[in-house]
Amino acid sequence: MFLSLMIFIPLLGMVVVLLLPRDQEELARRVTLGFTLIPLLLAVVLFMQYDRSASDLQFDFDTVWIKAFDIHYHIGINGISVTLLLLTALLGPICVLASWRNIEKGVKAYLALFLLLETGMIGFFCAQDLFLFYVFFEVTLLPMYFLIGIWGGPRREYAAIKFFLYTLFGGVLMLIAIIAVYIKGGTFDIPTLIDLASREGHPLADRTFQIWAFLGFFIGFAVKVPIFPFHTWLPDAHVEAPTAISVILAGILLKMGTYGLVLINFAMLPKGMELFCNGEGRWGNAFAVLGFVNIVYGSLCALAQKDFKKLVAYSSIAHMGFVILGLAARNESGMNGAILQMFNHGVISAMLFLLVGVVYDRAHHREIGGFGGLGSRMPIYTGITTVAFMASLGLPGLSGFVGEALSLLGAYDKFPKLTILSTIGIVIGAAYFLWTLQRVFLGQLNPKYADMPEINRREIVTLVPLGILTIVLGIWPSFAMDMFNEAVKGLIAPLG
Amino acid sequence: MSVVVLFSIILLCPLAAFSVFSLLSLAGRNSPRQDLISTAAMLIAFVCSLLLFVTANPENPDHQTLTWLPLESVDFSMGFYFDSVTAVMLLVVTIVSSLVHIFSIGYMHGDPRYPRFFAFLSLFSFSMLFLVVSDNLLGIYIGWELVGLCSYLLIGFWFEKKSAADACKKAFLTTRVGDVGMFIGMMMLFAKFQTLALYGEDGIFAAVSDLGAGDLTWLSIAGVLIFCGAVGKSAQVPLHTWLPDAMEGPTPVSALIHAATMVAAGVYLAARMFPLLTPDSSLVIAYIGGITALIAATIAIVRFDIKRVLAYSTISQLGYMMLAIGAGSYVAGLFHLTTHAFFKALLFLGSGSVIHAFHASHQAHSHHDENGHSRGSEAPFASFGIDPAQDMRHMGGLRRKMPLTFVTMLIATLSISGVPFLFSGFWSKDAILVEVLYRAMSWHSVHHYILFCTAALAAVITAFYMFRLIFMTFFGEPRNREMYDHVHESPKVMTVPLIILAVLSFPIFNTIVNKGFFENYVKTPEQPHVGSPKHAHDSQSQGVLYAQAGLSVAYAAEDAHQHHDDHAAGEHHNPIHDKAHNIVIPLSFVIVILGIGLSALFYYWKKISAEAVAAKFRPIYNLFWNKYYFDEFYNGAIVAFTVASSRLFGLFDLRVIDGIVNGIGFTVRELFSRLIGWVDNTFVDGLVNWVAQITLSVGGRIRRVQTGMIQNYLLIILGGLVLLILIFRSL
Repeated sequence: MFLSLMIFIPLLGMVVVLLLPRDQEELARRVTLGFTLIPLLLAVVLFMQYDRSASDLQFDFDTVWIKAFDIHYHIGINGISVTLLLLTALLGPICVLASWRNIEKGVKAYLALFLLLETGMIGFFCAQDLFLFYVFFEVTLLPMYFLIGIWGGPRREYAAIKFFLYTLFGGVLMLIAIIAVYIKGGTFDIPTLIDLASREGHPLADRTFQIWAFLGFFIGFAVKVPIFPFHTWLPDAHVEAPTAISVILAGILLKMGTYGLVLINFAMLPKGMELFCNGEGRWGNAFAVLGFVNIVYGSLCALAQKDFKKLVAYSSIAHMGFVILGLAARNESGMNGAILQMFNHGVISAMLFLLVGVVYDRAHHREIGGFGGLGSRMPIYTGITTVAFMASLGLPGLSGFVGEALSLLGAYDKFPKLTILSTIGIVIGAAYFLWTLQRVFLGQLNPKYADMPEINRREIVTLVPLGILTIVLGIWPSFAMDMFNEAVKGLIAPLG
Repeated sequence: MSVVVLFSIILLCPLAAFSVFSLLSLAGRNSPRQDLISTAAMLIAFVCSLLLFVTANPENPDHQTLTWLPLESVDFSMGFYFDSVTAVMLLVVTIVSSLVHIFSIGYMHGDPRYPRFFAFLSLFSFSMLFLVVSDNLLGIYIGWELVGLCSYLLIGFWFEKKSAADACKKAFLTTRVGDVGMFIGMMMLFAKFQTLALYGEDGIFAAVSDLGAGDLTWLSIAGVLIFCGAVGKSAQVPLHTWLPDAMEGPTPVSALIHAATMVAAGVYLAARMFPLLTPDSSLVIAYIGGITALIAATIAIVRFDIKRVLAYSTISQLGYMMLAIGAGSYVAGLFHLTTHAFFKALLFLGSGSVIHAFHASHQAHSHHDENGHSRGSEAPFASFGIDPAQDMRHMGGLRRKMPLTFVTMLIATLSISGVPFLFSGFWSKDAILVEVLYRAMSWHSVHHYILFCTAALAAVITAFYMFRLIFMTFFGEPRNREMYDHVHESPKVMTVPLIILAVLSFPIFNTIVNKGFFENYVKTPEQPHVGSPKHAHDSQSQGVLYAQAGLSVAYAAEDAHQHHDDHAAGEHHNPIHDKAHNIVIPLSFVIVILGIGLSALFYYWKKISAEAVAAKFRPIYNLFWNKYYFDEFYNGAIVAFTVASSRLFGLFDLRVIDGIVNGIGFTVRELFSRLIGWVDNTFVDGLVNWVAQITLSVGGRIRRVQTGMIQNYLLIILGGLVLLILIFRSL
């Protein structure tokens, strides 16, 4: 029931916010903050109570939901989902704080949709029933669509529709795959399906079937990650979305894709995974190649961007490439690296988007070349940005490095050439971040911004927890890795 | 106190000093006495290092680890390793760092970001010390990159200057190219050994000695890749171009980071990795070192910016150290690292003292600014934006005004020039020359003869350009009378560190840390006996083997042999070695006399006109002046290519990929709305109606977004789901 509480408290919050009088905007903000803080508190309890030595489901809860199709309300978490659950719970209140002043129209609706989004995300990471999994997947889609489409920038409608159609396209393929798995396995229950799929001779374990189902799920998740060439919704969505929504988009929604890949493609469809990851034959490098393309293509595109937010968006694509590369390795270092990178990217990209938001709220533009010399005017902001940039470009001592390095070390074992080529991304990553740092913060102060106010306390409060996490996980990654290490061992154990 | 406790204090003190500053800044407060906090932290670290140096027993290296990542199949541990190399490095870093901290109190006085400067120095000291004490490649890499960050922050300390902002970015990116090479090397080792730990039973060094002959090439590649990191950090050719630009940072930074410690980290790394080096990778290292030593020295001859001269001199000296390691004597390399750290820090701080004095006089009479500039451009070759306070063409005769600075810098110059017996630099440079010649003679190796000649030539040039610096700055008549008149000797807080470093440039320190000390104190790590007989004493057979398989066998055997002898007799009685020694000592006299004499002819007695010589050898002069066109090549080729391809990719993404997506979207929308329009007209069907509504609203009628779309969408999903389940069920 603990998890259900986490899932549905934001939903309750949504109802409460909608019932509030129309003119009570400040109250609505506080109520929303409260309703996002409760899951965070619960997450802290979860963090402490979670048994790190076990690899199977914890906080397991199972009850029949729709009897006709044997659909269950089955929730539970393992080490991988709990990590992302914590991240989601953490980003909730941060995003509410980040939308405190810059959302002006329809505050209540915005907050209500945000709470609905949070329910969807938390539910997604808890779901252990394929149907429920899909429902939560779609539940996140709708609020996101409106949040971008209504509160976004000038091209919000285009961006929202693009995001919607892309995800819908992926979602439909995924749905077909879900139905197919249901028909073959006779159940929606994910742990049962994983078990069945590993039994030789069971229809679910059929290689051809697994490959086709793999493709269905894969495209569904690839859109979310996003994996080249399904990525073009991302820069548009990011650029148009309000700051907090960009944070959620990069911090959590992208992780839904990679989490799905781990939960379904990796665990349930090992033979499909085998075909695309074993390094042999025509398709053996496919997965790793996609990771490599994401890294290098994303980095190069980022280097070309003139819009601060678009640059961060493309850098996300590059960083998710490391996750894909690490997953492709299918060994302990690669998998752990990939999952750590998921978490770390959630934290770091959240910081980056918040930081872009700070400067956008003040200057009302995001043209990288349009600033200059802010370092002398806003030293604290510059300091925090430097930390975030360094973390993102993989500076050792900060969290970004550990995930990247582990993914690469793991991947080198299986795909040495591709991994070596992927390291180009490390240099380009440093190049675009340092170049941006120079153009925005170094040099003579642009006289236009001689009165630019320094980052305020509310903004610092949103950034500091993330900054601390970045440093702590850079120094002591086991802090996070202990959570999912057992689950990873369980995942790779069948591979021998 | 145990080693662990001392290590913790050494690391935590500077880290705490930095943390004080960052936490206060985050709270929007200043850290008013950051200079004292940081300096005190550094002095404590120095005292602890001294304690370690004196009390610890290097015969018995201390090694402690703990698990960093909880992985089973592979090993990720962190820990420290304490041996004689660590002890010496700790001492060198903390001494130089403490003195630079003290010097900076005077030098940086009045800077608006004064506290920040000290906080960054603290962070740097922490990172550097972390690098030095780490027992594994991952830890070294972490410290390695962190010092790079500090270097970036400190080069760009005065980031309002465009040149500084450019320089810090260039430094970070150039070294990162090397670091990526190093990381690839680490991946190779990790894939093979499942660990990045160096020491211990499961460490890489232990594993390497079990490799077969078939792995020799693999190991050479890995070694060279790891060495790439050192090429970047220690500014070796071809990644040396960032270091001269790094002189945009405050001069104490140049002394600490870009002369004495961080750039020497590459040498330290190469020495630590010595057991991994195969004859082939050693030769690569030796050549890179030799070439660097010569190229940088030739560029230094023609510079006018006092700090640039010193920067190229640093590159050149680092080349020597690499040459020593490549030639198989990491002892000589580390020895030179130690002596160089002191005399080069002294040279930089001395130049800082001069620059400080000039800046003060410059600020006092800022109306001379233009005057200074016009003089600069009248000089035979335009000053290309050299800060007038650093332009040696404005100096001259300063020995009368700044006697302490002059004397201390002269001592350092005599040391770097290798003036025999009296100065530390002689001993370490001599050691390197002897070692290279010794390899050449004992292996009849043409490579090493070439390298020896290169090193000797570079030594002549070193003496030449260093005395050029001294003559131009401190001798002759003042060239800029107005600036000269306002110059004063620097305050005590700046001159005392100079004096201490000057003392350390005499062999006084050498008697404690001399070559022999190093040889006895530094425990030779296990050699890579890759596929070789371990005891091939006969030099004849070594020669043959060398001819057959490069140095592969000779190395291991030679060093094992030599080391064996050391232990047996306590001292060298190797006839070839003695012979090399007997050649090098007289040669050193020749080198010094030639270098200083030529320099004096040009710049003291002015018997030869530098301009005339430059005019006569114009193409060579241009080559030196333009730094062999490395920067032009990198900017024109590599940077331009990267930027252009990124633009291409960006456009491709926008036009092609996104174009396809939009095209598909458009087509589907058109087709669908036609189709559905037709279906709708033909069969009026509720479900289809919903579909049509969706499609139409998606097709641009966004006003609908806020009305009925959620319901429609959910209904579609549910309807579709039911439909699909029914379809699949019936299959």
